[in-house]
Amino acid sequence: MTVRPTSEALHERVRAFVEGILRGAPPEPFDDLALALARFQATHVPALGRLVRARGIDLASARDASVIPALPCDVFRLARIAAHAPVEDMRVFRTSGTSQGKEARGEHPFRTTATYELVALRWGERMLWPDRQDLGVLVLAPSLEEVADSSLGFMLDLFARELRGPASFHVREGVLDIEGVARVAAEARASGKPVLVLGASFAFVHLLDGAGTRDFSLPPGSRVMQTGGFKGRSREVEPTELRRAIASLFGVPEAHVVGEYGMTELSSQLYEGTLAAALGARTTTRHGVYVAPPWMRVTACDPTTLAPLAPGETGILRFVDLANVDSSVAIQTSDLGRVTDEGVELFGRAPGATPRGCSLAIDEVLSRGSS
Amino acid sequence: MSAEAEARARVLRVIAAGRRIQDPNDPLGAEARARLPAVTGLDPKGVELALSAHLETHATDAEIDTLLARTGRAPRCHVILAANVCTAPLRALALAAATSPDIVVRPSRRDPVVTDLLVRALSADEAFVRTHHASLTRAASITPAPGDELHVYGSDASIEAVTRGLPAGVCVRGHGTGLGLAVIGGDAPIDDAAASLAWDIVPFDQRGCLSPRFVLVEGGEARAEQFVQALDAALSRAAARVPRGPLDPALAAEIALYGASMEAVGLFLSRPSHAVGFDPSPCALVLPPPARVVHVVALAPTDAPNLLAPWAPFVTAIGLCDDGLLARAVCERAPFARCSPLGAMQRPPLDGPVDLRPSRA
Repeated sequence: MTVRPTSEALHERVRAFVEGILRGAPPEPFDDLALALARFQATHVPALGRLVRARGIDLASARDASVIPALPCDVFRLARIAAHAPVEDMRVFRTSGTSQGKEARGEHPFRTTATYELVALRWGERMLWPDRQDLGVLVLAPSLEEVADSSLGFMLDLFARELRGPASFHVREGVLDIEGVARVAAEARASGKPVLVLGASFAFVHLLDGAGTRDFSLPPGSRVMQTGGFKGRSREVEPTELRRAIASLFGVPEAHVVGEYGMTELSSQLYEGTLAAALGARTTTRHGVYVAPPWMRVTACDPTTLAPLAPGETGILRFVDLANVDSSVAIQTSDLGRVTDEGVELFGRAPGATPRGCSLAIDEVLSRGSS
Repeated sequence: MSAEAEARARVLRVIAAGRRIQDPNDPLGAEARARLPAVTGLDPKGVELALSAHLETHATDAEIDTLLARTGRAPRCHVILAANVCTAPLRALALAAATSPDIVVRPSRRDPVVTDLLVRALSADEAFVRTHHASLTRAASITPAPGDELHVYGSDASIEAVTRGLPAGVCVRGHGTGLGLAVIGGDAPIDDAAASLAWDIVPFDQRGCLSPRFVLVEGGEARAEQFVQALDAALSRAAARVPRGPLDPALAAEIALYGASMEAVGLFLSRPSHAVGFDPSPCALVLPPPARVVHVVALAPTDAPNLLAPWAPFVTAIGLCDDGLLARAVCERAPFARCSPLGAMQRPPLDGPVDLRPSRA
């Protein structure tokens, strides 16, 4: 079987799994599907094949997805992570710039975005708009035309197209259009139609800093999704303080301000569950706890051995994301977190070793850029 | 005595103080050997290697001429030291002594040992204090006045933080962090090059800004892999003589993630004493943790400019075994780096700052 038909068949299995598990009836076990993806990828993605061989893993006889070796995020900038040829790339998402230049940006190529779109919309619907779809969309980020290789931009554009209200993007060439945001807020107040506000955390800080006396309050039922850190692009604001300030600015309950966790190397996203809980779509939860979709398995790993830790222990997070069909189903991040029955608590990037010399430290390189 | 001669004499007294620390039979030398393993995290044999082979206690007249030419003159010279390699205070104080007879030093909080010992040695040195009317004072805080020089060691961020609050008229010389790389030319004998390079990696457990972190091998993938195996063997042999100090958990974690990345892109050889990662067809360089962990890539001279572009500003040292095409391509990208033969990267002449890049301040 050549790559494309196998890939297509796997995409179909994943989409069927997603639709099925949301109905409470997955067509096959998670582990079976994850291992099928891993076998396909180990055969057709050279980096994964090398990783499997280096670890001496027998994927053919494996029965548990925990044996799949997780690909460190760094590898996405060192090698092409795709089962298909570059000529078949329909879209390539790239990590944001680093101090090491554009050439060193990580790339996640997609032959098709159909599965990506399905999982983003299905989980977005569950976590951001479980009650209604007639929401306006106000995006504090550039439009997809301006950032065609941004996975976040792609997802925000997808949400804007999916929801039935008017949508507007308010960052152009790196500048936040504060007047435009105020205008859209006024229009929403006039129409009474609630709004979903989407954006990166630093954009919200810029909005708060430049808000002045303008009225940004939104109609009841409005909500906010913020994502990402500050990456040196604004002053840093403590999460609780930022959430309160955002809630106050838009006149929404704090529970309606939720964080999103996603990365270029993954296809699925996690959200804080407070909005869904406030709307009665989930059991009560708290800010700081992110909920993964049921087609994703998150495990904290020992940073030194990369072995899985017991639930509740803190380690670096490993994601098995079934929606990563043509790249790597298992991803190893350097983000610290803890996984409990409640969800995933995120503690930021694992701190680097204390520099004990004048040799350039890895942390210093990272802090110089905006990766 | 002219001002120039006085400056030279002061530098020579700093070097003489260093010789006391180098001498295991001198009380200061014995104290250094007793205190440094705990402070630096180096194995006692690593400390001995640092003191006996890398403390810069020999300088030719010409080297000191160059050192004097590379320093300024000021009524007072303040020095803020970071936890650089443990021998770094000697050169730092030699530069300060060349600059001024009145030196105020703030040692690194984490590693004050060699600074403390030099302060004690020089305070007890009649020639330094009485003949040349010099003073070296240890201070907890530094308050330079206009006209003074301030030599700051540390990361670029900490240099910037120190510089921000200074009065106008203080001349600041910032000595930032950096990295070394080695070039294995197409005609270099693999085993000899690996054996020499191992002794650039082992000193200070690779924590110095002259320590090679990247190795660029000319001549194709197979040759580069052959070099990886040779370097792995050479590092094992070197570790038998000078073991690596214990790893802290954060460093071990950085090595684990780096290793997983290398397993995916090429090869990762992990030993109790060191590790070597290999990327046979690099599209970017990845910085390995500084713990005798070396990142080796196969590289054609034509690809060097692109691959090195993001790293060139950080390169402080280049180890070479020829002046072939790759060596020349690399040196062009990092014009301020110190170039030396393999095996001598960690023994730069005492002819000025270790880091010859423009001041980081």
